[in-house]
Amino acid sequence: MVVILDMNGARWKCLLAGVSIFLTASSAAQAHMLVDGAGDLGNGALHPLMSPAHLLVLVGLALHLAQQVPCGLKAALRTFAPVSAVALALTMNGRFGAIYQPVLVALALMLGILVALELRLPQWASVVVCGLAAACIGLDSGVEDQATVATVKMLLGTWLVINALVAYLAMVASNAADRTWARTAIRIIGSWIIAISLMVLAFALRK
Amino acid sequence: MISVSKRLSPSVLIPLALFAFSTLASAHSEAGGAGGFSSGFGHPLTGLDHIVAMVAVGLWGAFLGGRAMWMLPVVFPLVMAVGGALGVVGVGLPGVETGIALSGVVMGLMVTLAARPPVWVAAVIVGVFAIFHGHAHGAEMPESTNALAYAIGFVISTGLLHLAGIAFGLLVKWPWGRVAIRAGGGVIAAVGFGFLFKWL
Repeated sequence: MVVILDMNGARWKCLLAGVSIFLTASSAAQAHMLVDGAGDLGNGALHPLMSPAHLLVLVGLALHLAQQVPCGLKAALRTFAPVSAVALALTMNGRFGAIYQPVLVALALMLGILVALELRLPQWASVVVCGLAAACIGLDSGVEDQATVATVKMLLGTWLVINALVAYLAMVASNAADRTWARTAIRIIGSWIIAISLMVLAFALRK
Repeated sequence: MISVSKRLSPSVLIPLALFAFSTLASAHSEAGGAGGFSSGFGHPLTGLDHIVAMVAVGLWGAFLGGRAMWMLPVVFPLVMAVGGALGVVGVGLPGVETGIALSGVVMGLMVTLAARPPVWVAAVIVGVFAIFHGHAHGAEMPESTNALAYAIGFVISTGLLHLAGIAFGLLVKWPWGRVAIRAGGGVIAAVGFGFLFKWL
């Protein structure tokens, strides 16, 4: 993988190391499930909503970002948007296949732990987590057997939805964070994400 | 005008009777995302022993109040997932059904007797029983099911049962509510005893 980014910053080093690890753990590509009548953009937009593993990661990430005080949302989204765009673009030539699902679930597990424990990370660490999640989701959202224009439209739809979902959920959750019941609810959702991830990882181990 | 006898003729009654005695089609496969979710969501709801124990967790948490209200419903799914993982990978656990029945008995009695142990003690009690519930669910997980969808449905269903218990437990603010909650605890303990001694 050609690295053009500035390597001076420690956060970029961590980000690239993480992305490289997940790239090496990639497996066979998984095509988008197409919905008749939704159109290319619509099908791309629906893809993350119809992939439970993606939803787990996105919800976990959004809730984690919402818990960061002061809210590091802007910096995190500044990482999430370009990294997810690059990762989606990398799937176009077919060199990078889908991420092995237990890797995605392990990421969701990590995010669930952060949310359930309400851990506040340094801003650079949140940015790294955000970059990892963006890379995994992007690389796992490749499109197969479609014309170039259709593929671009689908990837654009996916990119728009994953960014909108993370930003919207994080903003809503951070606005509610001053209410005790809302903070409790967020932590409970974190514990649910942990429970789901643990069971799925166990199932993958059995297989 | 059509007479009553004509409206209730055999040609109407027979299809109506067939319709009334029909059951839901069970041709749906449990494979795939939707099947996995519905299978997982329905699993905790298929056993009265599971239902009462999970409602009891929320009920007891709300009855204890404070940190216990969220800590118990957080501890339960976490430890339950560990038990579920053990069940999925085939690690044996003795006395699973007894443990599940005892969970209803113990937590129901705690509520009925208005026991107020420290939160960590309550969390340990809930955690121990959660292993049995999780193991049962994990061991019975269908092989063909989408694991992720099954786990999502299963955890959401469990969480909603806790929520039902918490909602019931919020009646603790009123004197009549306390009586109702303690009576509810008694019912839960009775169901637990029923399963423990195989009456149910």
